[in-house]
Amino acid sequence: MPNRRQVLAVGGGGVVALIGPAFVLAGPVEEIRMQGTSRGEHVWFAPVGLAVAAGTTLRFVNLDPGNSHTATCYHPTLFDRPQRIPAGATPWDSDFLLPGDSFEVLLTLPGVYDFYCLPHEHAGMVGRIVVGTPGDAGWQGAATEAGDLSAVALDGFPSVEAILKAGRVMPPGQP
Amino acid sequence: MFLNLSAATFGIALMLAAPGLAQAEDVPEAAPPPAPYAKVSDLVALPDFLPGLGTLFVDPATLPAGPFLGYDRDGKLAATIFMTPIEDLQGGTSYNDLAVGSNDVSSVDIYYNAGHPGVEKPHAHVVLFHGADAKARLAE
Repeated sequence: MPNRRQVLAVGGGGVVALIGPAFVLAGPVEEIRMQGTSRGEHVWFAPVGLAVAAGTTLRFVNLDPGNSHTATCYHPTLFDRPQRIPAGATPWDSDFLLPGDSFEVLLTLPGVYDFYCLPHEHAGMVGRIVVGTPGDAGWQGAATEAGDLSAVALDGFPSVEAILKAGRVMPPGQP
Repeated sequence: MFLNLSAATFGIALMLAAPGLAQAEDVPEAAPPPAPYAKVSDLVALPDFLPGLGTLFVDPATLPAGPFLGYDRDGKLAATIFMTPIEDLQGGTSYNDLAVGSNDVSSVDIYYNAGHPGVEKPHAHVVLFHGADAKARLAE
């Protein structure tokens, strides 16, 4: 049975709350798919880079029939990882999503949000969301320190410029 | 002559080896296998049925290699699967004398997997199919 979880990330408030879908879907909604090859040789987020307006709800959907995935942002409160979302933004972790499950998060602060799949970061399953543009008040750009991230994870993030130029960036080899 | 000798030698080796094959004790053809086998989807966050592998059962004490027993949607044993982390193989770990769910092995597939809950490291799937139609029964 497909399952959907909702999380509201309140910029600056440090609050995560479960809320009803009607409220979550009030603003723009963008989908990020979690996918993989049938035998699990390759896994990815699609798109891997996405530009959205502040107040957009992101819906992560697991379309991989043979695997479970997470959408987990880089933040010290989540598995002691380096911070790669704007200061003041509420961190999120979808927990494991089985095939057909989805998870939603509302992003309100302008800046760059990097996230990963907990069991597949080592395979390069990472993604980047750009909220707003560098001219927005309070904009916080991409993290500049590698921290504990592996080279394959760091290589997986499209540049902010590429995301802003294209609007969405697909992983290599994906249409 | 060389080929004939090689074939004969191989055949003798097989005959000598066959009695020594380790078969999982008390593995029924119908799911579920008895304890200590447990359904993988009850142990970690994975779907009940994995396309290509089936409904998996494993003795947690044998992780990561297994054997994992793969049953089709009708609950019939269709495959034995081993999962061997690449890093461990490179480091010199070998997996020997692994048990099999059935000695009736019709074909074997070996392929790379980037990882999943339960066996997070990149690893090889070694899939022993039990029966000519086993792969088809596990496909969907």
